Amino acid sequence: MTAAPPHGHLHQEVPSDDPRVQLDEAAGVFEPVPPYPPRTEREAEFYTLGDGEMFINMGPQHPSTHGVLRIVLKLDGENVVDLDPVLGYLHRGVEKLCENSDYHHSIAYLDPLEYIASLFCEWPGVLAFEKLLDVQVPRRAEYIRVLATELNRILSHSMFIGWMALDLGGLTPILYGLIERDEIAEMLGALTGQRLLYNYLRIGGVNGDLNHEFMSRLGDWMSRATTQIEANTTLLNENEIFVRRMRGLGTMDKETAFRMAMTGPNLRASGVPLDFRRAHPYSVFPELEFDIPTREEGDCLARYLVRIDEIKQSLRIIDQVIHNMPDGPVIAKLPRLLRPRPGRAYAAVEGPRGQYAAYVISDGTDQPFRMRIHDPSFVHLQAVGVLMPGHLIADAMAVMASLDPIMGGVDK
Amino acid sequence: MTAVARSWSRLTLAGKILFTVVPILLVLTAGLLLVIVLAGKPIVDFLAANMWLVRFVVAATAVLLMSVPSAFLIIYMEMKVIALMNLRIGPDRVGPFGSLLSVVHGLKVLMKEDFSPTGADRLVFTLAPVVVYMSAVMSLLVLPFAPRIFGADFNIGLLYLFAIGGLTVVGLLMGGWSSFNKYSLLGGLRSAAQVISYEIPLTLSVVGLLILAGTMSLNQLSINQSGWFTNWYVFQQPLGALIFFIAATAEANRTPFDLTEADSEIVAGFATEYSGMRFGFFFFAEYVNVFVVSGLIVTLFFGGWNAPFAWPEAWAIHLNLDPGSLGMGLLFGLLLIPPILILALAAPFYVGRSSLPWWQALIIGFVLFNLLVIVLIGGWAFISLDWVAGLLWFLLKSYVFVFIFVWMRGTLPRVRIDQLMGFAWKWLLPASLLNLFVTALAVIVISPR
Amino acid sequence: MDAALKRRLEARFGDRLTAPVYQRHDETEIRIGPGDVPDVCRTLHDDADFRFILLADVAGVDTGTVMQVVYHLWGDTSSDWLRIVADGLSREDPRVPSVTFLWQGAEWMEREAYDMFGITFEGNRDLRRIYMPPDYQSFPLRKDFFLPDDAARSPGAGVRHMEQSHAPRNARPGETMRKVRA
Repeated sequence: MTAAPPHGHLHQEVPSDDPRVQLDEAAGVFEPVPPYPPRTEREAEFYTLGDGEMFINMGPQHPSTHGVLRIVLKLDGENVVDLDPVLGYLHRGVEKLCENSDYHHSIAYLDPLEYIASLFCEWPGVLAFEKLLDVQVPRRAEYIRVLATELNRILSHSMFIGWMALDLGGLTPILYGLIERDEIAEMLGALTGQRLLYNYLRIGGVNGDLNHEFMSRLGDWMSRATTQIEANTTLLNENEIFVRRMRGLGTMDKETAFRMAMTGPNLRASGVPLDFRRAHPYSVFPELEFDIPTREEGDCLARYLVRIDEIKQSLRIIDQVIHNMPDGPVIAKLPRLLRPRPGRAYAAVEGPRGQYAAYVISDGTDQPFRMRIHDPSFVHLQAVGVLMPGHLIADAMAVMASLDPIMGGVDK
Repeated sequence: MTAVARSWSRLTLAGKILFTVVPILLVLTAGLLLVIVLAGKPIVDFLAANMWLVRFVVAATAVLLMSVPSAFLIIYMEMKVIALMNLRIGPDRVGPFGSLLSVVHGLKVLMKEDFSPTGADRLVFTLAPVVVYMSAVMSLLVLPFAPRIFGADFNIGLLYLFAIGGLTVVGLLMGGWSSFNKYSLLGGLRSAAQVISYEIPLTLSVVGLLILAGTMSLNQLSINQSGWFTNWYVFQQPLGALIFFIAATAEANRTPFDLTEADSEIVAGFATEYSGMRFGFFFFAEYVNVFVVSGLIVTLFFGGWNAPFAWPEAWAIHLNLDPGSLGMGLLFGLLLIPPILILALAAPFYVGRSSLPWWQALIIGFVLFNLLVIVLIGGWAFISLDWVAGLLWFLLKSYVFVFIFVWMRGTLPRVRIDQLMGFAWKWLLPASLLNLFVTALAVIVISPR
Repeated sequence: MDAALKRRLEARFGDRLTAPVYQRHDETEIRIGPGDVPDVCRTLHDDADFRFILLADVAGVDTGTVMQVVYHLWGDTSSDWLRIVADGLSREDPRVPSVTFLWQGAEWMEREAYDMFGITFEGNRDLRRIYMPPDYQSFPLRKDFFLPDDAARSPGAGVRHMEQSHAPRNARPGETMRKVRA
């Protein structure tokens, strides 16, 4: 067995007369950026420095990347010329893990994908399993699912407002967002037993019925939710500095949005009123009344305002759900050992970031054969490569924050 | 290991500090006493002949010593006030309400590892924080804290201040360039661009004031604003005051102009590679700068050390006391009055709460006695001595502006570098020129000479 | 179950479909050979009676016998999800043309399929590993992947129990692999 290659180096030999290599040796220091030689056409194009350009590495540890993300920026002074995101720091092999566990257990693996919106990560998996098994979910369970997931949506959007302001330099709105998040987390903790990774949805229903503590906390919060959210957002909406920095930044028109396979608020901020709760209804959404907030501009400010409007619509939905909650069981009766018949199923839901989906292939055994998870943050993060070049670094961070990626979902 | 080494290693950190510092202090004191005894008179004669030397040493020491506690206080204030604005608690562990936080931070940065990154220019890397800190401290030299309390009274005091402010940017650039780090470079260049752009509106906005006052000496400007608060220059130069406030925020690298240390974009800007006391110097220098800028705004536009109303001379209580005339009564008074007052103040607590041990009641009495004395003497000094009153008014007004700076930091997001430069060159500069022209015109029309 | 969609698909692509159009619940599935992917996708994207402009997902599948690439599309002319299965890719050298010319957002999804399965997407300008480190040797989601594949080649191989191969000693991937007809 040959000696293992030193860590971090490719196996190929590096020719020593290349001017880039000689520059590194002359500087005598470790210039960590380009993998050499380039493996693809795009890498070659990116890792060739023009005149006066430099690489800066916003590494996996950085105060403002939303998790562990490494972005190699090619800068000309302060202008971003090009960028190359490097992923995989949080890759946990969820799809492989789901293949080796049975259907009931794989739901718990789906939670930590997007840990802020974990109910939305479980839901498409559960829906796909229910399609394979032809399970009828009781109406009360569907209503509880909608209630819990809309609360999760509000939690996610409140945190988004905080992160957006934090990346622009305001220190206070994140703490106001955390107040909202804390209250909703306590509520969902009373309902599901967990504050962050709920593991609440089950095949055929939900894990437990509503309880008194949850309902009292919910009623208490709903009575002041509107004013509280109004107060949190007014600080930013009417702030000249905030608005001036976000208006006209990172504009994405409809064609670009569809080309980048965007969904969710990022797409709706570009003028496309596409919401899978209305366009491809699932669960009990046909019976609920809510609007789809859409904005035409497609810049960062539009993406921010769309999410605020969505919070208000979610409050409307929660109101209707509470008032129309039917009685009945909260889970369908299913055997513990599930063997769906061989087949394929695809299910998608509309989450706070966009389309969360799952494609499940069953081979008749008690383990899924293939569990493909589609996560919106993964797809949306490609848009930074399209939107960021041409802006300054400060704007680059604002653009990335406005797309709202969560690295758990990006890296699966 | 020798016995000394073994004993040394058994000491705690506090013990080590004590056993190092105290012998050194004793030796120094003994040496000083020896010098005084042996050569006291010639030294005193020499100093009396060269009073400027004494004044220089005293001013420099006072300014250096004064900068540290004010930085400590502002650091603590920033953390606590921003925390309260964020609806959280902030520091509350070290000391009552966390007030000893800055002291602990200061000790912490002293104890950190001292390194410089590979490839960094060692000399420049080490000097950069010194330059930044010294320029902040030198600005304190000309601020008039009270009628006769200031470091030096240049008649070009304002010009001196602006020159020193330009020195800060040299230090920031040194720090950014010598760190051998692209983030630091970006931060240093951003700060250089920012400070240079805002120097011009800063200077021009004050020229109108200078035309009205006719002097650049800060002490004289404070004297000119005595009397009622309507004498304050802010009412004669409102636009100039506003422009100065905004430009001063940018000079001090405070939010919304704090791109140099924008920690969500370029980690810590020019200070990314600094740690330990070097970073401590940058950190302190920023807060001393905040204090300097607040003090400057107060001196120039808000009356300096003057009270908002004319302080009537009649209020001063002149105690024409000759200690010699009191005789033995003074001795008995000094020996008997404090214990009697302590007991008198402790008695209600001892009698009223049966569970309080007598020594705790005495401690409470002692603390209350001290407070009483401070209030009485302080109150007398405030009323009668103009320099005490002036000092307190100056500090109060300065800290109001420090609070405003901290408030802005907790509330506002950051502007972008091109928006910042555009604002300085396209808005503040013409506005300050307009201010200057209108003031000059008004002076010519109203009181031609 | 959109019967009208089924008729339109059969009318348009009849000769290229390798299996009948399959519909279940709210999904419509067509199977094509890998070489037909660009044409079919372009037709479905541009044509007025299809207009499937939203690419929902690109997934790789290893059925144990063949590899597949599965595309999910959505459009407002139909109430169904449209699933396109590019079937019949060999397990030794799976190749399929890329759809990045239509949807640039497919770039990373194809990179992920490459990283996990080894499927080469011809025409993707940036086909390199996305999750695994650049010098990783195997493709994790393939059915013949034994976990400590690459760890076996590391300097610390065999030191900790996780790095020892847990595959049965006489395992031959072809026999103990899971397979599905899907």
